[in-house]
Amino acid sequence: MPGQKSRRIQNMHIGGHIILIVVATIILIPLYYVFINAFKTDAAINLHPMAFSLDYFTTANMANVWRLLAFPKALLNSVILVVISCSILIVSGSMAGFAIAIVNNRLLKTLYIILILLISVPFQVIMISIIQILSATKLMNNYFGTSFVFAAVSMPFTVFLYTGFMRAVPRELCEAAIVDGCGMGQTLLRIYLPLMKIVTSTILILRGTGIWNDLLIPLVTFTNERYDPLVRRLYSFASLRFNRWDLLFAGTVLCSIPILLLFLFLQRVFIRGLLVGSVKG
Amino acid sequence: MRKKELRIYSTFTDRWATQGFLFMLPALFFVTLFIVVPVFLNVFLAFTNYKGFGVPYRFIGLMNFQSLVTDASFWLVLGNTFRLLLIYVVVLNVVAIFLAILIVDVGARFGNFVKALLYFPCLLAPIVVGFVWRLILNYNRGLVNSTLRSFGLDGLAQNWLGEPALIIPIISLVIVWFATGYYTIIYYAGVMAISPEYYEVATLEGANGIQKFRYVTLPMLAPAITINVVLSTMGVLGAYDLPTAISAGGGPGYHGTTLALLVIRYVYDTYQEGKALAVAVIMSLIAVVLAYFELKILIKREEH
Repeated sequence: MPGQKSRRIQNMHIGGHIILIVVATIILIPLYYVFINAFKTDAAINLHPMAFSLDYFTTANMANVWRLLAFPKALLNSVILVVISCSILIVSGSMAGFAIAIVNNRLLKTLYIILILLISVPFQVIMISIIQILSATKLMNNYFGTSFVFAAVSMPFTVFLYTGFMRAVPRELCEAAIVDGCGMGQTLLRIYLPLMKIVTSTILILRGTGIWNDLLIPLVTFTNERYDPLVRRLYSFASLRFNRWDLLFAGTVLCSIPILLLFLFLQRVFIRGLLVGSVKG
Repeated sequence: MRKKELRIYSTFTDRWATQGFLFMLPALFFVTLFIVVPVFLNVFLAFTNYKGFGVPYRFIGLMNFQSLVTDASFWLVLGNTFRLLLIYVVVLNVVAIFLAILIVDVGARFGNFVKALLYFPCLLAPIVVGFVWRLILNYNRGLVNSTLRSFGLDGLAQNWLGEPALIIPIISLVIVWFATGYYTIIYYAGVMAISPEYYEVATLEGANGIQKFRYVTLPMLAPAITINVVLSTMGVLGAYDLPTAISAGGGPGYHGTTLALLVIRYVYDTYQEGKALAVAVIMSLIAVVLAYFELKILIKREEH
């Protein structure tokens, strides 16, 4: 009897492996398809879409796309937006989270609940008014204007995460800091933020990639293409050339490389961060 | 116990009440100026003939909503939105739970590999994923049709992205392809957190695999399921980038358009700001309902 049972369990494991291999294939084939065709001529893409052969190899697509996208400039725009908005997010978010977590005050609690409610507001709801506000404050076509919008829409979730984790810090630490003569700012800077490294890196990764990959906010807040970040540049570029598959494949690959490099270096932090962001504690 | 702790504690932090509020000001500033004010401004503008920044506008009552509900494409789009929500949320969560259980089952080495691979698409920009699938499903040259034709199955080759009935299911499934990794990892953590003793007891009682799933795994995963259903609904309600990239802006006609795309189409394609504002108000009503559930879940999670 035990033999039969273990065989059944074994069968189940084999079944599981097979299903997961199928799933892995479904994930991999499109990625392979794009990557391999980014380095082929248009004719070769048409005739041998799945072939892996050095005969068709060319880097001309990449060179063309690099030039057409004005890649370095677009990359710089993306970096500027991510850096400004993430700085605002971390500084303001940690301050707010700290205040809510340690000060026992009805007003702050109410504000916290309002913040949580704002997590579910889709950008489309505020889009038209945002254009009006940015135009009125001369922040359209401005790195800061767009970064402010990015920071604002990511703020509720950031404050939520910081609050939750700062509440879990033993209160004795805070009291000891006060006894030692730390002010509120010093307590945050010297005691709490060093304990929040995982939360901070999670926010940087989740929101950083989110901002990097976002199309809609730059689409709405920039009307002058010289400010366009990479993803928006790719969008305008692709919309005009949907018959040039060689350029499309190369463009999608080129635009994905920066984030993929980041993932390769920070893979552990990425996966751990995902759990911090979803399952508290 | 907890109450006593709070009292001792508050003597320390009472003096920080004002300062605490100051600490909240930067976050409040951004959120107020770029979310709260716009939400209310949007509702106000929806009752005017607003045409863009700088153009004078006046109050016109419900006319924007009237012209919206008399527009047949609006009802089509509303239907599309709910179909997308339904297909996406159901398929995504079923697939993610199933995969999470399998990943736990096959052990750490292979499981970790699959987890990392599944998460891979989440890193790509949604428009990249949209473009890639638009190429794969292309009628003349796409991977799907060229594969079918090479097996002599020309009859099965479809104009995948040109069929009104197919476009919403296709968009839903592509977003599932894109997002499964994220949700699988959340469910994976949930499955790992279930104490093995429950399964041991179930085994002793003679439960088979399906019964274990039904009476142990599923109830233990209930909190994760609630969170993920709300998160995925919220995520897909405003999804713009991927759907617009795969359906070339919401086509064919309005069959690939959801509310999230309709706002942008009204503003940038047909220049009907009024209808766009009315759609935005409807989206905020849906968001309020979602926020209610979200708050219940998050506050409950906080109490643990």
